[in-house]
Amino acid sequence: MATTTMSHQAIGSIVSHRPFKASQFLKEPLNVPMKSKRFKIEATASQISVVDNTFLSPSKNRPQESKKNSNEAALILIRHGESLWNEKNLFTGCVDVPLTQKGVGEAIEAGKKISNIPVDLIFTSSLIRAQMTAMLAMTQHRRKKVPIILHNESVKAKTWSHVFSEETRKQSIPVIAAWQLNERMYGELQGLNKKETAERYGTQQVHEWRRSYEIPPPKGESLEMCAERAVAYFEDNIKPELASGNNVMIAAHGNSLRSIIMYLDDLTSQEVTTLDLSTGVPLLYIFKEGKFMKRGSPVGPTEAGVYAYTKRLAQYREKLDAASQATLD
Amino acid sequence: MATATFHQSIVSFASPSSTISQCGFKIDSSLSFTSKKINFCKIKAMASVSYNNTLLSPSKTIPDNSLKKSNEAALILIRHGESLWNEKNLFTGCVDVPLTEKGVEEAIEAGKRISNIPVDVIFTSSLIRAQMTAMLAMIQHRRKKVPIILHDESEQAKTWSQVFSDETKNQSIPVIPAWQLNERMYGELQGLNKQETAERYGKQQVHEWRRSYDIPPPKGESLEMCAERAVAYFQDNIEPKLAAGKNVMIAAHGNSLRSIIMYLDKLTCQEVISLELSTGIPLLYIFKEGKFMKRGSPVGPTEAGVYAYTKRLAQYRQKLEEDSEVICS
Repeated sequence: MATTTMSHQAIGSIVSHRPFKASQFLKEPLNVPMKSKRFKIEATASQISVVDNTFLSPSKNRPQESKKNSNEAALILIRHGESLWNEKNLFTGCVDVPLTQKGVGEAIEAGKKISNIPVDLIFTSSLIRAQMTAMLAMTQHRRKKVPIILHNESVKAKTWSHVFSEETRKQSIPVIAAWQLNERMYGELQGLNKKETAERYGTQQVHEWRRSYEIPPPKGESLEMCAERAVAYFEDNIKPELASGNNVMIAAHGNSLRSIIMYLDDLTSQEVTTLDLSTGVPLLYIFKEGKFMKRGSPVGPTEAGVYAYTKRLAQYREKLDAASQATLD
Repeated sequence: MATATFHQSIVSFASPSSTISQCGFKIDSSLSFTSKKINFCKIKAMASVSYNNTLLSPSKTIPDNSLKKSNEAALILIRHGESLWNEKNLFTGCVDVPLTEKGVEEAIEAGKRISNIPVDVIFTSSLIRAQMTAMLAMIQHRRKKVPIILHDESEQAKTWSQVFSDETKNQSIPVIPAWQLNERMYGELQGLNKQETAERYGKQQVHEWRRSYDIPPPKGESLEMCAERAVAYFQDNIEPKLAAGKNVMIAAHGNSLRSIIMYLDKLTCQEVISLELSTGIPLLYIFKEGKFMKRGSPVGPTEAGVYAYTKRLAQYRQKLEEDSEVICS
């Protein structure tokens, strides 16, 4: 059995209360759970190192260069591209609308930009436009591990999707779909076009819902509510994986991603409402020693405007919005 | 009811040799129907179709050309293309593996072929490769109605995905994922490559599992079992839609689709085993008066070999397979 522990992607798990850990997918199904002694083996990443568990605590000093690398993990964020309702200028929210041809192209382009960054785990929302974005992006990935969507909606779904070869499991990237990463739920605005909403509620009210932090549309979520469930999910399920050294990709939506960025970058609620994420341009963070370091877009780390408007640009854009036919969320 | 003039009728002429590709898809020709006296309206703009009840009984002869059209419905079957495990020659079954770049193109190609055939509702399996195939195919669709995946896995999922505009709902095509349309579950073979399975079980045994009708692999389904749940689902959920005049598209897998074709064409067990479905080439059936009429591929209705091998070809292929590298889906 010793050989198998060396060759599987063991995740040194920090104490967690989660019933299901994505990375356990890579272990033998009927195995005894991880003991206290932890190994982290990144056979597939560009660096290969074996560390013992003392290195997992973020505050520990790392004297050697090689060991420092193993405590780093990449976090890739990808916002999906154009959906069929973006094209029609309809409020989408959590309605499960697929990508347009352009959105497909954006996903593939995004994939090319991250094709050399290791990915061990993928998180998506439960909406097809994010899942397709992830799967299309991964067709471009150099490393050729195979993403496999995990199914936990029922015992049968879990049993039926079981993989019976350990070697195959090692060559797999678990994909976890989570509603907590969904787009902000837009309540009664979902499916409406700009004209309908203006007629029904008034232009000013709609503008307030779209741009405020804590005011939800009727039966919908405020950005604050969206952030609450998205960040909670990130802290409970994604951050521990990063802390274990797993490279993670998240394919999600404008509002769920900016919520997470608010957490990563310690933004204020004012700053997050002016934060606009480009589609098709992945964002890269490095998680190291418990901190998140922005690496900008993999293409141009110095492109300041690549993923976020400055305050001045945000105000300018607000002015434009009032007059223009800008796309709705 | 101005909307009645805009419905897209499937024009089927008295001539039995006519096909969809010949008579095409004429929206404008429907305008001429308004001048005739029709006892009913078939309004396809919305989800509901209403017409004279007596036309539903299959035995009724329909004298008028125009009446006959409303009792027809198109059924499109699309088998998804290459998945990442097809490429690696691994038994896939119900493991949720996405498409390769080639599989993406096959889906787009399939979409071009059916771009003029009306689609009112889409059924897929619960696996991403079939769902992506459906969504990519529909990008090519001429009519520009928007597919929307329905979510009922929980109360929240249902509430959150609600659409609040009638007009938008009218422009939507519901997409229903169903595990009953999943690929045949391959049990302990899932994730194994050809070599592993031969080593573990012996070549002959594996061949038997793949080619028999009623012998399941360990912890897996036989083709018979797959057919049972796929056809039952079809009869309970899909056939009533067709009977109501809705045009249906099913995006699914080799085994679940051949099971359905076994039902549509009344094939024997022996015939279904040797039935091979091309990927990327949609099949078209017309449901009329309770019967299913094969219309072959929308591209070439006379291409006999397009979607099914003859017995002789099937035997030849069997011989090839024993030596070749191809593994079933």
